[in-house]
Amino acid sequence: MFEVFKKEILELLRDRKTLFFIIALPMLVFPIIVALVAFLTSQAGLKAQQQVHTYYIVNEQYADAFSEQVFYHKSFKKYQGDIKLDSVHALSEAVKLGQIDVGIFIDSDPREAIKTGKQSQWKVVFNDAKAINFTFNRINELANTSSHAVRSNALLELGVEPERQQAVLKPIVVSKVDTADKRENYGEKLGAFIPYLLLPLVLMGASYPAIDLGAGEKERGTLETLLLTPVTRSELVLGKFFTVLASSIACTLITVASLAIWVSIATRFISIDVITTAFSSVTSWDFLLIFALLLPVAAMLSSLVLAISIYARTFKEAQNYMAPLSMGIFVPIVISLLPNMELDTTTALIPITNVALAIKEIVKGTVDYGSVGLIFIASAALAALLLICCVRWFNKETVLFR
Amino acid sequence: MITVNTLAKRFKLNKEHKKQKQCTDVREHDGYFHSVKDVSFQCGYGEVLGLLGPNGAGKTTTLRMLSTALTPDKGEITIDDIDIIKHPLKGRKAIGFLSGTTGLYGRLTARENIEYFGKLHGLKGNALKQKCEALFTMLDMTSFLDKRAEHLSTGMKQKTNIARAVVHNPKVVILDEPTTGLDIMTTQTVIAFIRTLKKQGTPVIFSTHHLDEVALLCDKLAVIDNGVSCFDGTVDEFKLRGESNELNQAFLNLLDERCHV
Repeated sequence: MFEVFKKEILELLRDRKTLFFIIALPMLVFPIIVALVAFLTSQAGLKAQQQVHTYYIVNEQYADAFSEQVFYHKSFKKYQGDIKLDSVHALSEAVKLGQIDVGIFIDSDPREAIKTGKQSQWKVVFNDAKAINFTFNRINELANTSSHAVRSNALLELGVEPERQQAVLKPIVVSKVDTADKRENYGEKLGAFIPYLLLPLVLMGASYPAIDLGAGEKERGTLETLLLTPVTRSELVLGKFFTVLASSIACTLITVASLAIWVSIATRFISIDVITTAFSSVTSWDFLLIFALLLPVAAMLSSLVLAISIYARTFKEAQNYMAPLSMGIFVPIVISLLPNMELDTTTALIPITNVALAIKEIVKGTVDYGSVGLIFIASAALAALLLICCVRWFNKETVLFR
Repeated sequence: MITVNTLAKRFKLNKEHKKQKQCTDVREHDGYFHSVKDVSFQCGYGEVLGLLGPNGAGKTTTLRMLSTALTPDKGEITIDDIDIIKHPLKGRKAIGFLSGTTGLYGRLTARENIEYFGKLHGLKGNALKQKCEALFTMLDMTSFLDKRAEHLSTGMKQKTNIARAVVHNPKVVILDEPTTGLDIMTTQTVIAFIRTLKKQGTPVIFSTHHLDEVALLCDKLAVIDNGVSCFDGTVDEFKLRGESNELNQAFLNLLDERCHV
């Protein structure tokens, strides 16, 4: 068995295609893609932030202070053309034609309207179909300032002095006192996404070599050669299984290590408080626990992909079977991501979901070691069962010589 | 010496096959395809036995059973009185198998391929090294030993495959259409290899469609048709039974005679 394992590893290390998917992709390509996306997003954000919008206010005379603030705002430029606009419809048409970027329609003077118990209705007309858009927020902010001033004056006229106004406007203040510490809070949000990243990696690291070791060998005719050697079929499949398992773990570890390196590099330039706070209290013992939980999952998935690969006649057929499996792995992970989903006696019985939930608990720092032990034993038992099925599968002539 | 007695092997038909009401092959019945129904022959020390038969006659299934890759449903295979169906691991140690479909590991060098199979057969250390060196010299392989198998020419690959098949000193060598698709030079390498085995006294069984190779190498012939042995004897007996001195004609007559029985 060891000879088979040694040879499979040697062949795997000489296979540039698999190495690319297992090492280069997570180490270099993923971070480059992520960095590129982050760069482009920040560039788009910066561009949106720096963009100066041409504006037009209908009934400017109703809100002098507001109009003045917009006029002196660095992101707005008053429309200098000759067209006169007098309605929301006219503003809308002007935005569509590109004559202005934003139009503001003021229907009445808020200082007069408030006296009759009415609200002044302001309409901001602009194209809101852009993902990053600061227009509305900026105008809303300026309008709020004017609104506060009008309200404050009205209250003063009613005899409410400025120092009492806050209490009159909001007599009861409700605030939250969270018993969860920062780690638990961030862990709940971030911890759920860690299995979302790790488990597909475990599958990816297993499936590429598994396809080569099963269906690939069948297609190249080397499987028949191997079956002619005086090594039991159980030993042969175990040699292959351990190769797939090693690759799966290596892929996960390499990706996590590369992520850790890239995140530590990134945090030197920009501060990502959420990540730093969430992980500052995660100890190496916690990382070991996560690894221990991933191990039976890796064994489970390795047995599964190897069995599929041995069944397939060709490389292509194996790839066809792997695609639905890759999608299938997300189902138990998504279950663990559902709101308020917690580790209990029911969820602890759902394979993969239980591990995903346990990883979340570990990151939150609220892990129950008894449950982790049980999940480990249950997952290991399932992995052993799948491995036995895989070995039996490999002994079937109908599978080997389809 | 290898003896094959009343060998039979059937394969379950899949649903698509079962749906086809009109069955074209007489061997398809009871939900099974009876690939090999009754095959018997034997090959002694220093003998070369040619296994003949039309395409789909059951030759490859028979040879796969001899190589222990497939387990027969019935019959027995013995090599020097060892029942290899009951003891497949002993059988695999006693047999060297080479066919058009047995491949090499492309990302390993020729040397690594041969050494790997030597190790799987239990060879190690000096014994493995000496055996490999002897094979490399005998098959004139030294110039391409450290090249990856995926970069070798067809001839080089076949030499490596031959060395791989006999690295463990098998008691019997089985070759399934070893010259199909090869050029003249490479075919000659295979022929020379069979002659060397014959000289060494190793029984060789090889299936082929090339009757010129049969004339050149074989002492005995076995013919399989529709999964049943229809001849097992010497080349002269084959010509006599087929009523022709030409092997091709004798073969056709033999099959024709069977059709009219």
